[in-house]
Amino acid sequence: MLVSYNWLQDFLKLDEDPTVLSEKITRTGVEVAEVRHPQAGLKKIVIGHIIDCEPIEGTHLNLTKVDVGEDEPHQIVCGAPNVAAGEDVIVALPGARIADNVKIKKGKLRGYESNGMICGLQEIGFADSVVPEKYANGIYVFPQDADVKPGEDAFEALGMDDYIFDFDITPNRADTLSMEGSAYEVGAIVDEPVKIEDVTLKADGPNWTDNFTAEVDPKLAPKFFLRKITGVKVADSPLWMQRRLWNAGIRPINNVVDVTNYVMLLTGQPLHTYDARSFATEKLVVRKAQKGESLTLLNDKAVDLDPNDIVITNGQEVVMMAGVMGGLNSEIKADTTEVILEAAIFDPTLIRKSALRHANRTEASSRYEKGVNWDATKRALNMAALLLRNDAAGSINEGIVTATDTERKQDIVHTTISYLNKTLGTQISAAEVQHIFERLNFPVEIAGDDLTVAVPARRWDVAIPADLVEEVGRIYGYDRIESTQPVLPETHGGYSPEEEKIRRVKKVVQGQGLVEAISYSLTSPEKAVSFVKQPKELVKVQMPLNSSRSTLRQNLMTGLVDAAIYNMARKQNQLQMFEQGRVYDFENSTYNEHEHLATLYTGNVYFENWQHDNDPIDFYYVKGQLTNLFLAIGINPTKVTYQAETIAQMHPTRTAGIYYEGQYLGMIGMIGHETTRSNKVLKGKEIYGYELDLDVLLPLANNSKLVAKTAPKFPPVERDLSVLVEQDVTSEQIEEVIKKNGGQYLINLPVVDVYQGSQIDKKKKSLTYRLIFLNENDTLTDDIVNEAMTEIKEDLQTSLQAEIR
Amino acid sequence: MDLFERLKDLREKGLSEIDKAQTEEKLNDVRVKLIGRKSELTEILHSMKDVEPEQRREIGQSVNKVRDLFNQKLDDAKNELVEKLIAEQMAKEKIDVTLPGRSNHLGSKHPIYIILDDLEEFFIGMGYKVVQGPEIETDHYCFEMMNLPKDHPARDMQETFYIDPEDLLRTQTSGDQARVLEKHDFSKGPLKMVGPGKVYRRDDDDATHSHQFMQMEGLVADKNITMGDLKGTLELMAKHVFGQNRQTRLRPSYFPFTEPSVEMDVSCFNCDGKGCAICKYTGWIEVLGAGMIHPNVLENAGVDSSVYSGFAFGVGLDRFAILKYGIDDIRDFYTNDVRFLEQFSREEK
Ligand SMILES: [Zn+2]
Repeated sequence: MLVSYNWLQDFLKLDEDPTVLSEKITRTGVEVAEVRHPQAGLKKIVIGHIIDCEPIEGTHLNLTKVDVGEDEPHQIVCGAPNVAAGEDVIVALPGARIADNVKIKKGKLRGYESNGMICGLQEIGFADSVVPEKYANGIYVFPQDADVKPGEDAFEALGMDDYIFDFDITPNRADTLSMEGSAYEVGAIVDEPVKIEDVTLKADGPNWTDNFTAEVDPKLAPKFFLRKITGVKVADSPLWMQRRLWNAGIRPINNVVDVTNYVMLLTGQPLHTYDARSFATEKLVVRKAQKGESLTLLNDKAVDLDPNDIVITNGQEVVMMAGVMGGLNSEIKADTTEVILEAAIFDPTLIRKSALRHANRTEASSRYEKGVNWDATKRALNMAALLLRNDAAGSINEGIVTATDTERKQDIVHTTISYLNKTLGTQISAAEVQHIFERLNFPVEIAGDDLTVAVPARRWDVAIPADLVEEVGRIYGYDRIESTQPVLPETHGGYSPEEEKIRRVKKVVQGQGLVEAISYSLTSPEKAVSFVKQPKELVKVQMPLNSSRSTLRQNLMTGLVDAAIYNMARKQNQLQMFEQGRVYDFENSTYNEHEHLATLYTGNVYFENWQHDNDPIDFYYVKGQLTNLFLAIGINPTKVTYQAETIAQMHPTRTAGIYYEGQYLGMIGMIGHETTRSNKVLKGKEIYGYELDLDVLLPLANNSKLVAKTAPKFPPVERDLSVLVEQDVTSEQIEEVIKKNGGQYLINLPVVDVYQGSQIDKKKKSLTYRLIFLNENDTLTDDIVNEAMTEIKEDLQTSLQAEIR
Repeated sequence: MDLFERLKDLREKGLSEIDKAQTEEKLNDVRVKLIGRKSELTEILHSMKDVEPEQRREIGQSVNKVRDLFNQKLDDAKNELVEKLIAEQMAKEKIDVTLPGRSNHLGSKHPIYIILDDLEEFFIGMGYKVVQGPEIETDHYCFEMMNLPKDHPARDMQETFYIDPEDLLRTQTSGDQARVLEKHDFSKGPLKMVGPGKVYRRDDDDATHSHQFMQMEGLVADKNITMGDLKGTLELMAKHVFGQNRQTRLRPSYFPFTEPSVEMDVSCFNCDGKGCAICKYTGWIEVLGAGMIHPNVLENAGVDSSVYSGFAFGVGLDRFAILKYGIDDIRDFYTNDVRFLEQFSREEK
């Protein structure tokens, strides 16, 4: 809502600086997004009267003589199509500054001196959307009856001396979508009484109500009034009204339509005028639209009506989409003389949905959907009728057709002053509370601590004691409320144990040099189940923004691979990233969310370096990092097993499922060539990573209290063991045999060499383990170690047909 | 030649040999020759049996003196030699210390999590627990319980991704409030919580909109919670995040789940309140929404609103990060460009 400072002064005394006032309104009532002073930055723009206007031959230009209040008229060359002698116009004098900081200088056009410029409204800063249509492509011409004199400042005549507050209203404060509502609000803020004019009307035409019927469903329109005005002469509105309309962001159209807009701005009540010729049936019906009905709206948009649109018909055809926009078939035309004027209240939800459905939100519909003042309907009707008589020479026919007039009970809210103070944390006195409600123009009764407030209909947002707290709090001033801390018994804050563990995981991988990423949870149906061992039922949103954001992910790797593609396309080929977040599925008839961790590695172990000391990232590097993660969160890595596994989009011979005592924790491996080959930047690159289900993993972590041991005092004994086995024997199988026979002192067996090649049988491979034995309490004898070694070797020979080298 | 003469000779000869030995091997040879088992010195000692007993003591002392001297000189020479060798070796091992080291990515926390962790820590310090709720939320918890019945106009303001008529991607973390209020046993003490997480809205992604972003909800409920408490808490938080010199203001606003509702602005950190493009020439920047919990929300959760009250606030974490780090495109958070993300490695606390 654009609220005019000048117009506000019709209702109350205002001597505050507009900028200071704006800050007060923002802190107390409604956020003022901007204060606009239309004349700001402009100068030397005056009223001119065109004395003489002659075309310049061979051009589209005219040579004019314009009285600008000086001794001699100015000669001005003007190219506007609508320039003519006798017009009162806007003149930018030499030295003037017009819109966009353009300076006007004396000049010569086609050899003719031109001392200034006759302006269109856009040229002095008006928005296209408010310029009257007939002046859209030319200069502005003041209405003939406008009280303007050559040489006078044009700013005042055009309302540009005003300050316009842009009220950024919240849905509950639709009462300020009117000048009267805004005046009440500002009056309460600055503590000034507000004067709202009453309307008294004497009809001067014949009674018309006997010859007209209106059938209205009170559920669709709880209030519905009509008046008839005859003898109307359609013309331009008076300047004062045009000024107020355009300052409120509304384009002046004609003296009939403008009246309805003006009264809507004034009271907040949307109104509509029909050419009475469209009601030759002498009948009006308000109902829901029927399937197949259509209507061409005033903005030339043809709409197929929905059975939930409210429509107004003449009993035969639809003439208006109620509360939203009139039909072209009942429009006020230049030759209209008889007008039906409507003031009504429509169901807010139906109006909101209609406007939304047909993408046709209007000043009227946006007011209906937020609510209107139930006390203002008939008053607005009468006010508009009076203005039509004044501005459009109409006569008001006797009587109002009242189709519905549902009463709404006034809200009486009871509470206590101590409740207000307790909630606000204040000690506001009864007298001050009383005064606050007087400022708001809310009838109030105070008896001791008890407070009774009769809420005016114009403030339908106030209904319960908490609403009164807000009214008192804001008018008293939030700035005056003392800042305190809750006085409460002590509580123990913190994370849940699960959250603590997740935080530990993130800290570890970040410490390993990984960059944290956040990807979108919504992805494509295909990507949702990439890199997933066993896809579950997909979770899709009903109206996705596009198909690549339609489905909730079941893995995080997809996001990291997308990130890798993005980064590698920008020559960032050395990547180490992780994401911790949720995946989503539908299983066992519920939606499920699981916390996951995924990492992605590509490039080398180090950034490129001059020593050429580097290794490409491979499966085993990543596995080593994962092993450290397990250690760091209390998972015994020796209990974790890896099984070669086929997972969609992963490299089939370089990927493993990760298990802990049979439970699937996730996967580790290389991104398959089907992903990397098909992408220009990934082609030939090896990308590795792992993804873990933290919901499964974290409960396995060792939570027991750590009891420290001293470091062993006896030296370990090391023995290397080389084993030649068939290619398909896994390291894990060999390790199992070694562990089984190694005895209690075997504490570690790192693999120190793997060899396949020309030195040995093609079908075989050689692995070398370093067996580390330690007795923490005594020196280990050779006998014990030798015995263990013998047993290990024998078992390897028998179970795995290994050859000991 | 008597033994004294021999000793004197030996002493001169020995010292000069020690002087001449320039390698560790030679020095060892000299040591064997001068004081070894077969050295002349040993021989002199052995030949003492032929000497008058009264002279033996004197000769013995002289022999020991020479041996001590040799030992001393040999050790000195050796130390000197080793020092010299080490110095030579190290001189040879010289490197160019200005060449770069080997490194890899440092690891970094996502800026939104930097903001979130900092806020969580701040509130945990004040006794708040951190609560996580589901992102696939029911209409019931996301809207109905939060005083947003079906057909409420504010539901249009929150464009929602529905999964089915009852389930949706939460548009706000407020659902966590309802869940926690329902479960909380006020006889065991007040409720103080923050609930962070991802939220979703049907907005097309552009510089200022993202269909996915992060919020943090906060709530305190008990018998005597006031708006002054809300104001004091929000001011502490705003100053913690945006700096102790910031001014704050509360202004009336509207949320269906709070009454009164307010928004908090902080004085613009770019222009310090004078007005600039960032604060749209108002001097203020909006940072969060808050209010006193609406009685309907309490009652919906089975909490007696005539006994208990509370305050709630919601923080846009993306917005905080945007403001704090001067980021001008929200999509930067979700593109995962490592060149953007890695600059935050130094923000880790
Ligand atoms: Zn600023």
